[in-house]
Amino acid sequence: MRSKLRPVAAILVSALFAVPLYYVLVNVFKPGDQIARTPASVPLPPTPANIHAVLTRPDGLFWVSLANSVLVTLLSIIVLTVLSAMLGHYLARSAKRWTKVLALILLAGLMIPPQVILIPVTEVLRLTGLMATIQGLVLFNVGYYVPFGVFVFTGFIRGVPVELEEAALLDGASRTQVFWRIVFPLLRPATASVLIFLGVWIWNDFIDPLIILGPSQGTTVTTGIYRSIGQYQADLGSVFALMFLATLPVLIFYLALQKQFVKGLTGGATKG
Amino acid sequence: MRRKPILPRVWHFASFGAPGVVVYLCFVMAPILISFGYSLTNHNPFNPPAEFVGLENYRLLFQDEQFLTALRVTTILTVIVVIVPNLLGLGVAVLLDRKGWLYNALRSMFFTPVILSSVVVSIIWTKLLDDRGPVNDALRALGVEHPPGWLSDPDLALYSVASIVCWQMLGFCVVVYLAGLQGVPAELLEAAEIDGAGPVRRFRAVTWPLLAPSLTINTVVLLISAFKTYDYVKVVTNGGPGSGTTATIAFDVLATGLDANHVGYASAMAMVMLVIVATLTTIVLRFLRRREVDL
Repeated sequence: MRSKLRPVAAILVSALFAVPLYYVLVNVFKPGDQIARTPASVPLPPTPANIHAVLTRPDGLFWVSLANSVLVTLLSIIVLTVLSAMLGHYLARSAKRWTKVLALILLAGLMIPPQVILIPVTEVLRLTGLMATIQGLVLFNVGYYVPFGVFVFTGFIRGVPVELEEAALLDGASRTQVFWRIVFPLLRPATASVLIFLGVWIWNDFIDPLIILGPSQGTTVTTGIYRSIGQYQADLGSVFALMFLATLPVLIFYLALQKQFVKGLTGGATKG
Repeated sequence: MRRKPILPRVWHFASFGAPGVVVYLCFVMAPILISFGYSLTNHNPFNPPAEFVGLENYRLLFQDEQFLTALRVTTILTVIVVIVPNLLGLGVAVLLDRKGWLYNALRSMFFTPVILSSVVVSIIWTKLLDDRGPVNDALRALGVEHPPGWLSDPDLALYSVASIVCWQMLGFCVVVYLAGLQGVPAELLEAAEIDGAGPVRRFRAVTWPLLAPSLTINTVVLLISAFKTYDYVKVVTNGGPGSGTTATIAFDVLATGLDANHVGYASAMAMVMLVIVATLTTIVLRFLRRREVDL
């Protein structure tokens, strides 16, 4: 394709693909009656009324959901990073046959659909009194996503020379000190991809908070949006504003860390 | 050469390995075993005690019209979702494989849906595809008198849901293929050009074989995520219109187990689902990996 045609084709294809994104963006800044009448028009003049309405709702749905989402996501990714980095270290450094079996069992976890385990998980959580609690959801997230974290970290730790650790151990550092002071800082790229991917997945998660947190105990931003479409069917402006506000944190996160994002995603692809 | 451990192995496992393993076993592996156990009973938490029924649930499952429909729905959805974003993603990646701000910006745009929640994507499309939504408005403006009911026509709804999934997954495939394209050595392409190969020939003989790892990762990720499709179905159609026209196995497992409380039966369904995913992924992975080695 010659140089004149390619940018035109690229822009046309992308514009077609972007229609749904355009549709959300323009309707966030339009009054409700205009959304119904002219959904595709540009908002002139743009109004912050929908966003204002969502932020000042008397039931505080947005703020409560936001707090829950932030709490669940932060707690989950912190615990996941710590546990999977350490487990990854164990798997990468131990040559016993049973660690290979363990690695396989963990790898299998990457393809288990959540629906297969969710029903018994709710019973495990009920037994331990953690059903419908943030802690319960965080624990489940940790168990479910630990294989992904381990998968990323193990590969990286294999690239860190073991002599580095042995030297520090000979100097009298404990294994824990060696790991956190010497190995972990070297794993920054792996840590970044684990934090980014799990952060986005857990933030966007729908089915697990819907079922584990239950109908009354708490909403995250996704379950909050889901419930408000039923209740506020007529108020399209609020639905669009809620979707926009719920996406904003992830979007900023993504735009700020785009490079690492793509690197993390394609690391596996190019290595094979 | 065997290294002597500096600290006892048991201690290393207990402090580094065990915490992650324990949570994984409690929340993933144990639930699978419990699920298998339930699948052999008629467990219903609101109607105890559960009785052991052996393989009865599995026997019933394969005579159950609703389950066979869910199996068919899931198969159609998976086939579409594995093929369409893979093909279109390759096309878009080839189109965007140039340097410059324009192409960078367009790449980011294609990736944006990947970071959106499937709930948000589902709601956007529910509004877009509504009988009186913007898509049908546009069709009417173009002179189509009776535009289709994308989500309300039982023959069409499944394809609409599949298209939504494809739209969200496309950017993922684009980015993975773009990374693959960057790995194709320019010298190889130049050599082929000097030998007189046209652009199509160059793509088929040089680029495409070198994209094998990208094809593998895209296919496996699409396969797994298509098979567990739940969010889109729950939000967009809730399994309908009509009876189960868009209900996937993943959707039916939770509807049967949590809404209707037939935990035993739902668990048998979940086990069948697990076996299918594991088998398919293994076969596809083995097949595609062999292609990579042959190069």
